[in-house]
Amino acid sequence: MTLNGWLQIFFFLALILLVTKPLGLFMAHVFNGERTFLDRVLRPVERLIYRLTRVDAQHEMRWTEYAVAMLLFSAVSMLLLYVLQRVQGFLPFNPQHLPGVDSAAFTGSSFNNASSFTTNTNWQSYVPEVTMSYLTQMAGLAYHNFVSAATGIALAIAFIRGIARREMQTIGNFWVDVTRATVWVLLPFCLVGSLVLVSQGVIQNLRPYDTAQLVDAPSTQLIAQGPVASQEFIKQWGTNGGGFFNANSAHPFENPTPLTNLIALFSIFAISAGLTYTLGRMTGSQKHGWAVWSAMAVLFLAGVLVTYASEARGNPLLAGTDQTSGNMEGKEVRFGIANSALFATVTTDASCGAVNAMHDSFTPLGGLVPLANIMLSEVVFGGVGAGLYGILIFVVLSVFIAGLMVGRTPEYLGKKIESYDVKMAMLVVLVFPLTILVLTAISSVSPSFGTSQLNNPGPHGLSEMLYAFTSGTGNNGSAFAGISANTLWYNTTIGIAMLVGRFMMIIPMLAIAGNLVGKKIVPSSLGTFPVTTPLFSTLLVSVIVIVGALTFFPVLSLGPIVEELMF
Amino acid sequence: MLDVVFIAATIGFFVIAVAYVHACEKLRGGERNEP
Repeated sequence: MTLNGWLQIFFFLALILLVTKPLGLFMAHVFNGERTFLDRVLRPVERLIYRLTRVDAQHEMRWTEYAVAMLLFSAVSMLLLYVLQRVQGFLPFNPQHLPGVDSAAFTGSSFNNASSFTTNTNWQSYVPEVTMSYLTQMAGLAYHNFVSAATGIALAIAFIRGIARREMQTIGNFWVDVTRATVWVLLPFCLVGSLVLVSQGVIQNLRPYDTAQLVDAPSTQLIAQGPVASQEFIKQWGTNGGGFFNANSAHPFENPTPLTNLIALFSIFAISAGLTYTLGRMTGSQKHGWAVWSAMAVLFLAGVLVTYASEARGNPLLAGTDQTSGNMEGKEVRFGIANSALFATVTTDASCGAVNAMHDSFTPLGGLVPLANIMLSEVVFGGVGAGLYGILIFVVLSVFIAGLMVGRTPEYLGKKIESYDVKMAMLVVLVFPLTILVLTAISSVSPSFGTSQLNNPGPHGLSEMLYAFTSGTGNNGSAFAGISANTLWYNTTIGIAMLVGRFMMIIPMLAIAGNLVGKKIVPSSLGTFPVTTPLFSTLLVSVIVIVGALTFFPVLSLGPIVEELMF
Repeated sequence: MLDVVFIAATIGFFVIAVAYVHACEKLRGGERNEP
């Protein structure tokens, strides 16, 4: 580890701290319907959208209506993406004349991709530059990058309303929240951000791929082109993570300079950090928002410390060789250890999944951190919206546990947390390990379709399989690599895992919001556990780590932990 | 043929999800919060 590396890490965290208040305040204004500096341009756009889609912006929804609207929107979007992939060979903007996805051999890839992008996962078992036409990239994948992120933000705002409102039955209007998230929070920033990326060398064109004559061989190399910049910024800003190219953010056309690398890191955390301030603003307890932010920051620093230290230490199996730069296998020389470790931690703290280094090549402990980050439900800033409502589930559990300690009915910002809320919180928490562990277990005992696709035997092979299902269920989308997942088994099961990990966690979360919104505020008393103090942040961190550790420790001990001990 | 299977599975999943919404609401109706 170097001082320069740590300075870069703390500089990054300082940037996130700086953006939290202005962006959080901006989002609070947007979702409260208050004035923002973009209103003169965007209000007419919003009104036009409502007129065209016949949305009554004044209509307020109960949680059930909000949930069903979200499910219908997602179902229709997913089916459209499925069809678009299958028929892309007959459609324009396809200069390479790529056939429909799955047309050569049906592996269920089109289902997996549709599930992946609808759920904000962006797991990619395919090679994008030889699979997806420009039209599919722009109208299918980039579209989902926006609306899946907007859906996550809308859900977080709905949950905040559930906490903030008193004795009401409604938590907002899904269509209004999605529209405002897209038009105010995503589109303007992506427009500016994409242009900045173009200025740094990220490509943006619709022309056929270039052919380059190789210097040292008589052969040629095809250099993929495409509308990359317009998809690149939202890839991070919406914590989607799906690369235009297979190498993702390690590709020089996606991430050409140190500045674009910093922009990528910043974009992944910005909205999620801002939402903690929005939480404080909308609930009238700004200190609570910062307490949640602090818990996230502590977990982030712990993760980056372990990853950075492990990768800087080098690979013990290569002892005797020059490893002064650390474990550089699978890493870009231009990013080095610090920025690779930071990127891996950030992308798995959030449910982004973009990568600038190959996680499969990390040391066992270095690879354990990205895996564990996803297993903690990606609540360390987390995915846009998903990170906030994810950590609020842990907040509900934390105040419940604190209530048990003092023998009082737990309260959260004046709302009593009762049996229904805790039951729903446990449904959110349990569906995650259940999906991951069952599917990993089946794959690990099935040589014909499970273990046959692994590139490594033993504990590392288990880690590869475990990571695939964890990344899918956690809607992260990053690949550990080392596993050939473009098969009917993995495409189907990971596709289902992504749907379960997204929607079966959202529904009980919204149920909690729908239950809390009807409660009245109870005045705080001596028995009330304050949710604005360092003690609360400590308890929150403990609950997140203990729940994650208890659930996944056995399987982690068979994978990365035993691999570390084998050195 | 497999297209039909996957499209039907997708629709089936979302139908189950809608049923899950109503099941959660029904459970909520069965529990009475403290006034």
